[in-house]
Amino acid sequence: MLFAQLVVAGIQTGLLYALTAAGFAIIFGATRIFHVAQGAAFALAGYAFLMSNAAGLAWPLAALLAVVVAVAFGVGMERWVYRPIQRHEASFFTVFVASFGVTIIAQSLIEVSFGRGFVTLSTPLTQARPLLPGLYVAPVFWIALAVTAALFLGLAVFLRFTRAGIGLRALSESPELLRSYGLSSSRLSVLAFAIGSALCVPGAILTAAVTGLQPSIGAHVMLISLAATIVGGIGSVSGAACGGLLLGIAENLSITLLNTQWSEAASFIVLFAFILLRPRGLFGLASTR
Amino acid sequence: MIGRRGLMIGATMASAIPALTYPDPAQAAASPYMLGTLFPMSGPNAEYGEIFTAGADMALAHVAADKMLRRPIVMKAVDSLATPQGGAIGMSRLVNVDRAIYVLVGFTGVSKAAAPIGMRAKSILVNGGGIGPDLAGLTPYFWNVIPLANKEVERLAPWAVAKGLKRIAAVYVDDPYGIGVVSSLKSSFSKAGGKVVAAYPISPTDQEFAAIAAKLRAVKPDAVYFASYGAQQSEIIKQLRNNGVTQQLLSPSSVDIPSVHALPQSKGLIYTAQSADWNSPDPVTRRFVQDWKAKYHKDPVPYNQNYYNAVLLFALLASALEKQGKPVNGENLRNQLLAQRSFPLVGGTGVFDDNGDISLPIVIKQFQAGGKVVKIA
Repeated sequence: MLFAQLVVAGIQTGLLYALTAAGFAIIFGATRIFHVAQGAAFALAGYAFLMSNAAGLAWPLAALLAVVVAVAFGVGMERWVYRPIQRHEASFFTVFVASFGVTIIAQSLIEVSFGRGFVTLSTPLTQARPLLPGLYVAPVFWIALAVTAALFLGLAVFLRFTRAGIGLRALSESPELLRSYGLSSSRLSVLAFAIGSALCVPGAILTAAVTGLQPSIGAHVMLISLAATIVGGIGSVSGAACGGLLLGIAENLSITLLNTQWSEAASFIVLFAFILLRPRGLFGLASTR
Repeated sequence: MIGRRGLMIGATMASAIPALTYPDPAQAAASPYMLGTLFPMSGPNAEYGEIFTAGADMALAHVAADKMLRRPIVMKAVDSLATPQGGAIGMSRLVNVDRAIYVLVGFTGVSKAAAPIGMRAKSILVNGGGIGPDLAGLTPYFWNVIPLANKEVERLAPWAVAKGLKRIAAVYVDDPYGIGVVSSLKSSFSKAGGKVVAAYPISPTDQEFAAIAAKLRAVKPDAVYFASYGAQQSEIIKQLRNNGVTQQLLSPSSVDIPSVHALPQSKGLIYTAQSADWNSPDPVTRRFVQDWKAKYHKDPVPYNQNYYNAVLLFALLASALEKQGKPVNGENLRNQLLAQRSFPLVGGTGVFDDNGDISLPIVIKQFQAGGKVVKIA
């Protein structure tokens, strides 16, 4: 039963990774911008939710506020950080350093505003109950499962069947072709950042309830999301989702074989294995040299 | 450009400056005693820094009010970040830049990193917060005004075994503190007729313990002993309880902080701590408790007491040296401690051994509903 319990814990962790990784994949897939500050959006959304909830706002309103904060942050990054850089030189390293710098600033802002310790949300939703003898599942697991399934379904419909969704998929391939169809690449870019940033909010809220937040959590989440994106196949939303799930399960299952301290490293062992054996990831396209 | 001769003249003049600044012994005597604190003032363990500093501050106020010393005390605070690196850098600054002769320190890893620097500079380090067993006799200039974890575990093990808590699973931070505690736990429970059946190390920054909870449930121990610190302790308690670990939770004194008191899931948690009788009639304790309650409107915690005692100990030693006409420095402070041994401190007479470690009785306490704590043994 230990194995089943660890799989359940792994799925719950993996669902949170999947949502954040999918957000990163949408942004990167559409704009080719390496948006490291997605971790900062996660942290800001989580703190916005916790603080507004502590101030007496109901869960749905606090969650809505968290979405507003994350989307405003993502769109702000696109408009006032990445776009000016791209107007000049658009080198990968300039974008990366700028994004990383904003992450540090966001972390410092959180530290100054909310302190440097852990903050957490006490809720009965994290109280596990026995589902089977020896298998405990908390209501938050089912919530994570339902929210993730609903969001990915909605995202798939949006990307496949709407004009904006198809435009987002085409954006990275041929911005000129988009213009000929009367679509604005800059508007689609903003849309990618808005959707990508909003996708990290459920993960941030559930993390606040399950394990608590700390100002530097964005860096950790971003590392895992990057790993999930690479494992799933760069630019593939479904790949990022599967990658996140796989890493979450690997992280938890690793402690059946290894010391408990190796659980985080397990994710990166999986990443290295993919880089060596299947560099294009689960759903990525094979590149020709 | 300044030549070699210019540099030599400059150096000679610079060396003469102190004599010009203090032309007579009376003025020299007014220069303050430099003390330092090496506490975590930021990061997840900043809560400890505030608690430690509050105790030291009250002692400074009392020492000044009582005019115990001929010279004032200046306390320099350096953030240790609760890391060995922060401890080494901070201690170097305190002894080399600030010329601190007496430094208050907390946390086992910080203490172990700072101790060799204090030893070289012959500056006294006084620990009132770290409880790693290997802090005993770290250097001749390192003292403890807190009983160390081995003493706490030695007190807990026979009591727990007598209560039927024989099979213990441990969760511990993988640093000098956690490793030392688990080592003591294994030997103490083995001697008492119990056994540590599993031990799971965690990183000081870990936040997720659901998988460890699953392993703990599979091991089926009688009790779970965790050795961590700061806000991580609250996450451990909350997540173990939320994930079906119903066994008795045990911990050392590091758990006695406000964030754990405020956690509903900490109800029933048993921990060990130094004896602290706030109703003691001795005048030092009475004054400390009265002034504490007047200022903070609540009881002090043992950490407040320890750092109050650390500063009071300095004042008592320095006062004795002043009366003997000896300079107040690390070496003389140490000699005076070993000559005098017992001091009137908060909690009663503090007696120090050859290592400079205080001996205090250990009690067993339990969290009740609403964060209240009662002594159970």
